[in-house]
This record gives sequence, structure tokens and C-alpha cells, in this order.
Amino acid sequence: MLQLENLSVRYGSFRALNDVSLHADEGELVVLLGANGAGKSSIFLTVSGLNKPAGGAIRLKGKEIGGMKPSKIVRSGVVHCPEGRKLFPKMSVMKNLTLGAYVYSRDQVGVRRSLEEVFELFPILRDKRYEAAGSLSGGQQQMVAIGRALMGRPKILLLDEPSLGLAPLVVKQVLDVVKKINENGTTVLLAEQNAFAALKIAHRAYVIEGGRIVMEGESDTLLHDENVRKAYIGA
Amino acid sequence: MSSIDLFFQQILNGLTLGSVYGLVALGLTLVYGILHVPNFSHGALYMVGAFVAFFLIVDLGINYWVAMIGAAAVVAILGVLSERLVFTPLRHAPPIHDKIAAIGVLLFLEAVIMAIWGAEFRRMPAPYTEMLSIGNVAAPAQRWLIIAGALLLMAALHLFLKKTIAGSTISALAQNREGASLVGIDASRVAMLTFAISGALAAVAAVLFAPINLVYPAMGHLVIMKAFVIIILGGMGSVPGAILGGMIIGFAESFGAFYISTDYKDIIAFVLLVVILSFRPNGLFTQGER
Ligand SMILES: Nc1ncnc2c1ncn2[C@@H]1O[C@H](COP(=O)(O)OP(=O)(O)O)[C@@H](O)[C@H]1O
Ligand SMILES: [Mg+2]
Repeated sequence: MLQLENLSVRYGSFRALNDVSLHADEGELVVLLGANGAGKSSIFLTVSGLNKPAGGAIRLKGKEIGGMKPSKIVRSGVVHCPEGRKLFPKMSVMKNLTLGAYVYSRDQVGVRRSLEEVFELFPILRDKRYEAAGSLSGGQQQMVAIGRALMGRPKILLLDEPSLGLAPLVVKQVLDVVKKINENGTTVLLAEQNAFAALKIAHRAYVIEGGRIVMEGESDTLLHDENVRKAYIGA
Repeated sequence: MSSIDLFFQQILNGLTLGSVYGLVALGLTLVYGILHVPNFSHGALYMVGAFVAFFLIVDLGINYWVAMIGAAAVVAILGVLSERLVFTPLRHAPPIHDKIAAIGVLLFLEAVIMAIWGAEFRRMPAPYTEMLSIGNVAAPAQRWLIIAGALLLMAALHLFLKKTIAGSTISALAQNREGASLVGIDASRVAMLTFAISGALAAVAAVLFAPINLVYPAMGHLVIMKAFVIIILGGMGSVPGAILGGMIIGFAESFGAFYISTDYKDIIAFVLLVVILSFRPNGLFTQGER
């Protein structure tokens, strides 16, 4: 589904990503583990077109999408739910969600159908639909962010640290929903620092350090790997 | 005239001024909201709008309303051009560069107008010259026209921003630029749309106001200064703030001119700015965010 080959990204003269190669196959839930500053967000921002790659290839179903405009990338089915959510804080939950389907606004029937699906996934959002997104709790805002991304009809969903800053119980809820979204057929690439919880729901994982992939494997393998346990699980 | 009639006259004056200032400030605040550029050239766009309409009405004998649409279209295109040719290339430059460039655009437009029409003061004929009374208040039809026209346009703009998808893209970009790009909104198209609307609003304000005022190359100076006062009061980027701020300045000027002195009319806006900012440093309508 999505394949990165030797992707490099620079901020000025600083190389944030060095020859990153990874892939997520159709139907997979793949997790990217890495400490703060490892380069997870840089990968996502480059795939979704907000950053330009300095080298390498990004392919969606074999078609090169590296360097295209974000609006075209969204249309092609790669939807990015960013770190820090990036909601429209003064707009209602409903408005945030409908704008998520911006590229499909010609198809209002489809938009309403997606909206129902999001409300089914997050029933609390239906109750809060007329409230300003910025007034919700952190967990609810994260739900709006995920919902808004789903409205963009992702073939592959890029989820950047959805559990950041949330209480442990809410983290579990959010990750359960991520798992459900994947089970419903959407390919998911998830960045997480919560290694244990993320590996529990993922099929495969990559570990990234200093802008390089340093390890990859099945979730079960990594879950029992000595180094991973020391560095990311603390057990 | 009885003092109560005079009082109503001041209300009418305040509404007239507030309408014009509000329209100009709206364009300024929309552009500020998405680009964070204080567009100093906005006053020149207002002035160009008046000249284009003047040319269409006086030299070509075109109907006032058609001339207004023509002026709005020309200034909308000028706004878009300034966005494409000047502000877009400076998007990643240090912030002072846009401000200098905006002043450059202002000087350029004024010089072009001076070169074509010279510096004289001109009078634009009013489309309706009769007096019109509503209730006890009698005023030239043009004043009623300004108020009705501006209120209608403000309502239309409000509906456009709130109810249409194209309008929502402007608010979305203002509230979160990255978020807007990630849902597939094309930031440069929204910027062009915003500059077009902003320019058209300035032109319509100028064409509404010109028949009871004068047309000359420096006519935008005071208006734009006041529009800046208004958006600082109303909160940079806030649409309701621009409308309410416009009315506050309009009323303060009209009542100030009448009950204090006409000589101080143009200072009132700035005094009000100092007073309000001493109490509410972030403006009247911001809730301490951003
Ligand atoms: N806009 C930027 N300008 C300069 N450096 C950046 C920028 N964004 C990220 N970086 C740097 O790139 C590296 C990777 O950051 P990031 O991709 O955000 O990591 P992560 O998401 O894994 O925390 C870090 O060293 C960070 O400081
Ligand atoms: Mg990150």
C-alpha cells in the first residue's frame, strides 16, 4: 500500500531523516516507535506533503507521491492525523468533521454517511457536535482529530502520537478505536511512544532513532526483544 | 431642529461612518487572519476603487451600480495580483519584509493614480440626490444607501464565511494552517480568494462613500489608519470585531464631532485606541487566546 524507499528529509542543513525505508501493506497496522526527536513526525509530514523530501521515493500502490501538493495527496487516499491535532478550535465539532471531507464536498450523501460512521465510532462526538472543538477535553479533541481524518476516506491513515498528553484510561480507549479502524479495513501507520500499548495492537513495528530505522519486526518479536524492552517499555 | 432630532442625526452619521469603516476593516482583518500581514496597501486599494468608479461613471457615463461592480472587480484583481506577485514570494521571509512590501504596493498604486489623474480633488456625482426620511430622520438618500449597502454586504459575508464551504476554508486557514492543508484545502487558492474579497469590500466601501466625500489620491490614508485602529480594537483577524469596532469608531467620531468639536474628529479614533488598549491590551473581542 505505502512504501518509502531511502527517504531523506532536511531542515536547512540538518538531516532529520536518513535513508528511511519502510512499508505498510494493505490491511496492516504498523507502528513506528521512537523517542522524541527521532523523526517520526518528519516521516508523516513528508508523506502527507507538508514537507518536501530531500531524496528517496514515496509510493502509494506503486505510484510515486513524493513532493506532491498536500491537497493532491489527500485526494489519493493518504490522510494524516497530525501530532497536536491541528483542529479548527473555534469551529463546531460538526464543522471540523465536515471539513475533513473537504475534498469530497461535492458528494454530500457520502459526507453524511462518513459522518454517521464517525459518530458510531465516537458516540460522545454526536452529543458534542455543536460545541466548539477547542472547548472539548484532550481525549475528545483527539477523537475529533481522528474523526476528521476518517472523513477524508483514508486508504491509509497516518496517526501521529494520538495518545500524547492523554490520561492512561483515555489512551487505552483511543488505541482500541485505532485497532477497530484497522479491523474495519483501513491500513494504519501509527507513531507512538507508548511502545507496550502500541505493540499490543500492531502487526509489525519499526524502531527509529536519530532519523534512521534501527530495527523492524513482528510486534510479538519486538515485544519480547531485550533491547526494545529496555529502551521503550522500561521492563 | 430639536435636540432629539439632532441626536438622531448623529446616530445616522455614526452608522454611515461605521458602515464604511467596518467594510474597510473587514477586508483588512480577513487578510490578517490568514497571512498575518498587516496590509498597509489596503487603503490604496480603497482609493483605486473610488477612481475606477469615478472613471466609469464620469468619463464613460456608466450607471453607478455597474460602476461599483466594475470597481470591485478591478480592485479584487489588483488584490489577487499583489498576493501572487508580492506577498506569496515573501511567505518565508522575515516578517518585516511583508510590511515593507505592503507599503511599497501602497506607494506604487498611489503613484500610478497620480500619474493618470493627478492630485486634484474630484467629486463623484451621487446616484440619488433626493432627501429621504425614515421616521423623523431626514437624510440624503446616499447616506441610507451606505448603511443599507454595508449592512447587506456584512450579512452576506457572514453567511458566506459560516455557511459555504469556500467561506469555511478561509476560517479554517485562519484557525489552523497545517490542519487546513491536511484536509486538502489549497492554501494559495484560499489566499487569492481572501485578497479578492478584501479588495472588493474596500472598493464597494469607497464607491458608497465617495458621493458624499471627495475622490483624491490620498483619500485612503485616514480611512486605513482608522481601519487599523478598528482591527486592533476588535482583535486582529476577528470578523465580528471588525464590524463592531467599525461602529464604535463611527459613533465616537460622529458624537465627538458634534458634542466636542469637529476639529478633533479624526483624533477621536486614536484616543479611543489608547484608552481601550490600556484596559484591554488584546482588544475588545479576544478571549486572551493566541
Ligand atoms: N521544522 C523544523 N525545523 C528544524 N528542525 C526540525 C523541524 N521539525 C523537526 N525538526 C528536528 O527534526 C528531528 C526530528 O523531529 P520529529 O520528526 O518531530 O521527531 P519525532 O516526531 O519523532 O519526535 C528533531 O531533531 C527535531 O528537532
Ligand atoms: Mg513527533
